[in-house]
Amino acid sequence: MSLPDDPPASAVQIKRKRSRFELGLTGIALLIPIALFVIVLFLGQYAWQAIGFNGIRFIGTIDWSLGNLYMNPVVTRGYSVPLGANYGILAFIVGTLFSSFLALLFALPVAVGTAIFLAEAVPERLRPALSLLVELVAVVPSVVFGLWGIYVLAPLISHYIGPGITAVLGFIPFFNIHNSTGSGFGLLAAAIVLALMITPIIATTLYDALRQVPRELRESAVALGATRFEVVIKTMLPTVRVTLVGGVVLGLGRALGETMAVLMVSGGALNYLPKTLFTPISTMAAFILSQLDSALGDPTNMAVKSLAEIALVLFLITLAVNALARVIVRGATFVRNV
Amino acid sequence: MRSDSKLRRSTLLRAAAAAALVAGLGMGVAQAAGVSLVETGSSLLYPLFNIWVPHFEKAHPGVKVTTQSTGSGAGIAQAISGVVQVGASDAYMSDQQIKQNPDILNIPLAISAQAINYNLPGLNNKHIKFSGPVLAGIYTGKITKWNDPAIEKLNPGLKLPDHQIIPVHRTDGSGDTFIFSQYLDFSTPSWASTVGYGTTVSWPAVQGGLGANGNPGMVEALKQNPYAIAYIGVSFYKEVAEAHLGKAMLLNKAGKFVLPTAKTISAAADQLVGKTPADERISLVFAPGAMSYPIINYEYAIVNSKQKDAATAKAVKDLLTWASNEGNNESYLKQVEFKALPPAVKKLSAAQIAKIGS
Repeated sequence: MSLPDDPPASAVQIKRKRSRFELGLTGIALLIPIALFVIVLFLGQYAWQAIGFNGIRFIGTIDWSLGNLYMNPVVTRGYSVPLGANYGILAFIVGTLFSSFLALLFALPVAVGTAIFLAEAVPERLRPALSLLVELVAVVPSVVFGLWGIYVLAPLISHYIGPGITAVLGFIPFFNIHNSTGSGFGLLAAAIVLALMITPIIATTLYDALRQVPRELRESAVALGATRFEVVIKTMLPTVRVTLVGGVVLGLGRALGETMAVLMVSGGALNYLPKTLFTPISTMAAFILSQLDSALGDPTNMAVKSLAEIALVLFLITLAVNALARVIVRGATFVRNV
Repeated sequence: MRSDSKLRRSTLLRAAAAAALVAGLGMGVAQAAGVSLVETGSSLLYPLFNIWVPHFEKAHPGVKVTTQSTGSGAGIAQAISGVVQVGASDAYMSDQQIKQNPDILNIPLAISAQAINYNLPGLNNKHIKFSGPVLAGIYTGKITKWNDPAIEKLNPGLKLPDHQIIPVHRTDGSGDTFIFSQYLDFSTPSWASTVGYGTTVSWPAVQGGLGANGNPGMVEALKQNPYAIAYIGVSFYKEVAEAHLGKAMLLNKAGKFVLPTAKTISAAADQLVGKTPADERISLVFAPGAMSYPIINYEYAIVNSKQKDAATAKAVKDLLTWASNEGNNESYLKQVEFKALPPAVKKLSAAQIAKIGS
């Protein structure tokens, strides 16, 4: 009778199906933020006592000592901790930021150059092979970089790079290798190893973006009489600037959190800040790894909790760097639009 | 008749099937009786366990042992939590840890020692003499040059260079750091009151000091840095010899300088066997006696006296009994430069192993 007025059954079904599909998608999409939230929650809860015990001293001082794990614990500032226990991580924060940003300084020009070369200058037939090579560097396990750092890079810095830098810039104490052990293990070695690890990350991200730049944009730039160099610098790079910052953030995240390779070449500094480019350092991630085994022997467990607090601080630093990068991108877009 | 025979045949078939099933089950039971043990911990004991395990498994079919090198702290922690049956540690557990975990036993499996090695161009074939206080001075930055009067006084007649010393320490937690810092702690009051001992210590900030990761990292740091000094477990003697590094003579408690040899290590162990308590937690560092080498230690198995079932308990007992007896044969220990336990200690260990049950 009223057949045409009946709601089309198939439409309802589609709607329900879609809503189920959407629900599923939302659920899957939520997994990542939930996992992140759970990790932070766990770290915060686990480190809670350490946060109370350490206070602001934690990030403001450079003296780290697990204390005497073989004597009976004593009560300090209301917490039961090993005698002489003191947890100050300023040296590790400085080591982490210093080595990562130095690595970025080395990696950025190389990565940008590589990406432009791959996208613009390489013959079409060679491009897949060469870009594959760059991507291969990105998948080299970090321990391999660490070994290379120990056996090749450190001696190289000790015998050639270090004395070379000293010969040119030695009048500035920071660049004088004679103000350090001269062993090659230290800030510069860590930064170079990190730079090698993050260069392919930035390069491949940027390369992919450069390939996506609309053909019309290039053609119009050429039509306006731009040289090839000007096309790249004035048309293409500004177009992909957001991706570039994204790649830098990815690379920086890797550098800030890198553990094994840094542990192997950093020289494991404890209780002092780096005075020269060649001084040993420690980074937060590497330090957590190197201390964990001994910290497990702490009957009060405060040592492990303090290591968890380091992880929390490292997480916050990574978050801050990420946020900063976003602000920079937005700022740059805003300026352009004005 | 026909159906009867059919019936009989089917009964026979059924019986056969049942028998096969039982046999199969029996085999299953026999396989379940095979016990699998996991050993984890000390990277110094790891090579020895790897030498031991094939021989032990041959002598005890049905027991499978998996070994891992994770560090002494992890060995203790995982033996306590029950993740592994045997933890390996270069250091004994502290009183507080034992108070918290009264069921955990510390059972010596062998004796290890540590050498002080250095890379001093032209002098690596000479055994330079050091004392605890001089090493403490180097590692606190009070003694900075090789020709410091304190070092020259111990080495009359040697022409020591006017060059900065690079003291190398372990950045990872290590039994080697534990016994090295104990030597400094027991021999030097100022070290005891400021730094103390542990598997990691808060190394004083020495301008020109260096941290290295693991014993291989220590050897490499010495190789690459002339004028460096480091403490390295004797199991790395091959790598040290290949790199032509120097080996120091150390001042013992009796005021004599000794090298780490089979004789001086045994002499030191013999001095402290009588003092080893029933739970066998004792430091062998800085032993009395004119012949005693000052930096030696027991290598421990950390085990829970309450295992999850009788079969596992028996397998653990078998493994530890085998390791501290047959496993102490020169043919095994020689490969890692460890020394055998004295008979009196084996007796103490046997008493502790007997406590393991389920």
